[in-house]
Amino acid sequence: MEGMTRRGFAERLALAVAAPYLLDDVPRPALQPRRHQQQQEPSPLAKALAEGIRLRYPDRFSADDLATITRGIDNRLRQIERLYQTALTNADEPDFVYSVYRGAD
Amino acid sequence: MADDLAFASIAELGRLLRQKKTSATELANYCLDRLERLGPQLNAVVTLTRERALAEAARADAEIRQGKWRGPLHGIPYGVKDLIATKGYPTTWGAEPYRQQKLETDATIVERLGAAGAVLVAKLAMVELAGGMGYNQANASFTGPGKTPWNTNYWSGGSSSGPGAAVAAGLVPFAIGSETSGSILTPAAYCGATGLRPTYGLVSRHGAMALAWTMDKLGPLARSADDCATVLHVIAGKDPKDPSSVDRGFTVPQEHGSPARFRIGIPKGADKEIQPEVAANFRAALKVLADRVELVEDVELPDLPYGAVAGLIIAAEGASAFDDLLKDGRLSQLTAPEDRTGGYGALAVSAPDYLRALRVRRPMQRALDDFLKKFDALAVPTRTTVATPLDKPFRDGWPGITGGANVIGPTNVVGVPGISVPNGFGVQNLPTGLSFTTRAFDEGKLVTLGRLYQSRTDWHRRQPTLT
Repeated sequence: MEGMTRRGFAERLALAVAAPYLLDDVPRPALQPRRHQQQQEPSPLAKALAEGIRLRYPDRFSADDLATITRGIDNRLRQIERLYQTALTNADEPDFVYSVYRGAD
Repeated sequence: MADDLAFASIAELGRLLRQKKTSATELANYCLDRLERLGPQLNAVVTLTRERALAEAARADAEIRQGKWRGPLHGIPYGVKDLIATKGYPTTWGAEPYRQQKLETDATIVERLGAAGAVLVAKLAMVELAGGMGYNQANASFTGPGKTPWNTNYWSGGSSSGPGAAVAAGLVPFAIGSETSGSILTPAAYCGATGLRPTYGLVSRHGAMALAWTMDKLGPLARSADDCATVLHVIAGKDPKDPSSVDRGFTVPQEHGSPARFRIGIPKGADKEIQPEVAANFRAALKVLADRVELVEDVELPDLPYGAVAGLIIAAEGASAFDDLLKDGRLSQLTAPEDRTGGYGALAVSAPDYLRALRVRRPMQRALDDFLKKFDALAVPTRTTVATPLDKPFRDGWPGITGGANVIGPTNVVGVPGISVPNGFGVQNLPTGLSFTTRAFDEGKLVTLGRLYQSRTDWHRRQPTLT
């Protein structure tokens, strides 16, 4: 991990935490965040979003489940920050094209 | 029938069929027997499609007797990952909630293989829901952990675990897997098979379970690059039932058409701080190709948020694809504990953030294409380690491995193709893989490079011992 930028580390962490074998071929230590990151308290936004999920399904989660969900959301929020560092203009459309439909007359 | 037939290539089996030295029925029965006898040792099989196989084989035999030759797959047995719909048999998606699911239609890929005369013998095991809920251990399917035939204490890789193990163990000559991000190439590497991930859209997804509509690809695992090419030729092409499919086919490249030298980019750090045996096999493989490649070392992919885009897209599309499971709580029936809660966090992804990911992917595609066009291919070790042990979470499987270059993630986000070929063995007698990646629709180059490598090595002919 030496020499890796903070941004690079966040990218690897994002990939690995989201779904380790689905998403990447980066090494396992990406799954073992540095000590300060392990102890990092999830952000208030992550906690609030997790609480929204708990309210949606009030009888479904244990405290451990909710803690896991909250950490996952917190990690994803950090991923999302990176998305907004890529400059886009109003004209940059999503990479899908909607096609209008007209059936047989 | 001799046991080495289990490891014969598609071309070799076709030759035997044409020469009437075997029949499609005999081949189907042979594979069914091996699948039934050896498949359970690997947790590789969900359902044998015996009745269908014997009917398709009888039809193939009748046609071959009449001199009607459909092509190189005529009479050849194969299996499909159990996320591909097949009439008359369960399609379980590897997941307990769908264990009894029957989809009364054939996926387009099954139709195309059937039209080419291939014989479906099995639905093969997979990681539940193709891994979309964030599994972190091998035991993530109701069929149990997939096992590599080289050492059954180790994982087959996923999520196309059954296709990888079944091909490598000589249970079927080829199989169809799927890849959203790594699910063909990983089992190919961990099992010692050859796996080809086609360009997004080259092969119809109609009838295949969706995990992430804009990232899912279907492709072959087989004994060699040549065999993968033979299968890809049949399954590639536009399908009106899949709007994302493209109007391009795939032509098997001719030997004489390949360039004298290939310009190969080696991403920075590709073989640094990875398992030493994996690194050594990678460099040895490049040496095998030395007279035909010009290596460009330490190339760097454009610095873009591949992981963020992939994470958002898979989370959002996966949560939508499986919204019924999230809503009614049946995620709790999944095998891996982490999969039972892994999907809920995606409910916190906002629509603008998902759309941002899709918008960022467009300049990302262009940047990566501009980068890839400088080379005929990129080369990396497919995985930074050999297969992980069954009894440990992935993160604890091979501690201390901190390096490697992330290529599977970025190339899957933008949908360009890749191939993994076996290139040796590492610790615990476990196979390693060499990957090449190219620009979109350059599968011909992948096949040519794989074929060149396999013409000079015999790693793809090695056979595991199962009794």
